[in-house]
Amino acid sequence: MSLARFLLKRGLQGVFVVWGVVTVVFLLRFITPGDPISVIAPLDASPATRQAIAAELGLNRPLYVQYLDYLVGLLQGDMGYSYISNTSASARVFARLPATLELAVAATLVAVVLSIPLGVLSATNRNEPVDYGATTFSLVGISTPNFWLGIMLVLLFAVEFGVFKTSGRGITSARALSALATGNLDVFVSWLTYITLPAITLGTYFTALITRLTRSGMLDELGSAYVRATRAKGLPETLVRYRHALRNTLIPVVTVLGLQLGTLIGGAVITEAVFAWPGLGTLVINSITGRDWVVLQGSLIVIGVGFVLINLVVDALYAYLDPRVVSD
Amino acid sequence: MLSPRSLRNLKRELSRSALAKTGIALVVLVVGVAALAPLVAPHDPTAQNLDDAQLPPLGFSETENSTTTEVVDGEVQIVNETTTINATAEHPLGTDSLGRDMLSRVVYGARTSLLVGVLGTFIAGGIGVTVGLVAGYYRGRVDDALMRSADVMLAFPSLVLAIALVGLWGRAAYRIPDPFVLLGITPDMPASFVLPGTVVVVVGLVNWVWFARVARGEALSIREQEYVKAARAVGASDARIIARHVLPNALTPILVLGTIQIAAIVLLESALSFLGFSGTTLSWGFDIAQGRDYLASAWWISTIPGVAIVLAVIGINLVGDWLRDALDPDIEGEGGGV
Repeated sequence: MSLARFLLKRGLQGVFVVWGVVTVVFLLRFITPGDPISVIAPLDASPATRQAIAAELGLNRPLYVQYLDYLVGLLQGDMGYSYISNTSASARVFARLPATLELAVAATLVAVVLSIPLGVLSATNRNEPVDYGATTFSLVGISTPNFWLGIMLVLLFAVEFGVFKTSGRGITSARALSALATGNLDVFVSWLTYITLPAITLGTYFTALITRLTRSGMLDELGSAYVRATRAKGLPETLVRYRHALRNTLIPVVTVLGLQLGTLIGGAVITEAVFAWPGLGTLVINSITGRDWVVLQGSLIVIGVGFVLINLVVDALYAYLDPRVVSD
Repeated sequence: MLSPRSLRNLKRELSRSALAKTGIALVVLVVGVAALAPLVAPHDPTAQNLDDAQLPPLGFSETENSTTTEVVDGEVQIVNETTTINATAEHPLGTDSLGRDMLSRVVYGARTSLLVGVLGTFIAGGIGVTVGLVAGYYRGRVDDALMRSADVMLAFPSLVLAIALVGLWGRAAYRIPDPFVLLGITPDMPASFVLPGTVVVVVGLVNWVWFARVARGEALSIREQEYVKAARAVGASDARIIARHVLPNALTPILVLGTIQIAAIVLLESALSFLGFSGTTLSWGFDIAQGRDYLASAWWISTIPGVAIVLAVIGINLVGDWLRDALDPDIEGEGGGV
């Protein structure tokens, strides 16, 4: 099987998952107490008014008609109209998406840049202080709730030292990067003061997790027969470690990262809540407390689709690292 | 369930691993505190006393500088006053903004965390193991259908789905009478304990996929074993084979995963109560949230419950590591964190 066919197969599975996500999200509304009409209708609305609202919203049609209608709308990029926020749901959701992506990317960068060197260092210096330090860090890191970590960072850096911003987003990363390119350092630094604490808050769990995986993977690989063989043929230790052992270590790391993607998105939701970051997470929470059904459904679908898409990227990365997965 | 050889491995691993001993000590501490909460807690965790609000923990007496103006001999003078708020032994971990004892709240919070963690894991395990065993045993279309639905579940981050479900289903909570109070041993403590029922069900519902994946993998290999073929040959029903032969032989990795899942669900519960999606106010996450408004004046309200969460979760994770290293099952992914 070629790489293209492998990715096509995974893509089709992804389409199926997206359809499942949409169906679950659609049905969620019907397994939930409280009807959408009473959220919009005045408290003293007469049955006739309520029926008129139901007709207006199309809620008096059979379930399967509503379902098909919803599917067709989604295919056209229409997630429905929110009578609570008086906008189309897709407008609200897509306005919030960039902020969440920015936070997730920043956190992933923090995690990958810190964890893989730390894990390698820890494995190649086994039972030395740096190894104990890294192991302790990763144990504490995977055991710490990130919202609490965020609050502690706020306490330390904002309340005590007053260095970083603790709420909001400032400017977009695109504008920050163009400011950096044009040498406008002040603007870039001001952007950094906003994103640093949220990125560390969200990234710490993953830094800890990947450090742990990289360490144990490297230890396994460095003790394996093929590594001894490459050493025996006189390959420099640097090449043995980075060209051979690390590459094979990254395979399970990438697998787990793909599986843990949901944790990243879930973590983003709560990190956003801590730092009032205007992303999808705060939107999800607000739409639940405000009973804004349509926006909640739209957010969940975008999150699900995002999960499937990123997993495709992970699959491609996986196939690159371990060509064997393509062949079976 | 565990073979003598497994038990020997567990003992050997325990005797040589300081981390395993630490983990067990932490878990015993948290379980003990949770079970004996009314005996351990010095005060009623819900009793307010505004005169004693925001007392710092022992060793952290706070000094506050304030300036007031006073009129002396017709002239306005600025007077600097330094007041010291002394920590008291009566509240070793201080008090919150309503004067409730932090130590008692942390002790009772352990109950909520552990109960939700353990019950939620049983629900997730019950659903996940059943789905996984059936999928792996029957393979084919049954497997495809079940595991594709597991993929759909996986596309919803468990925290997001949990927030949505608790937010929409409401926050049902059940009052469980406290045996120590019922028997009159600790009459001053709360007569009942609040179990956030919706949260228990929801954290179970959003975490079953991990169990399904592991159980399916086990079932796929166990179904090819000779003893399963033999059972089938003598005419045992599928249900009987799954329950009597496949399940018992799949238990080791499920046990390891279950331990790690308790840690993950404790974190999930704390996140839910932090966001206000819980049915109880006696929870570590809830206290962290209410302490946020007092970060500048009373840092300990948010800090202390978080330390409790970290210690409990480290303990459970270390026990999980111990079980995994000693029993050596093959698990990937480990389940979600928060």
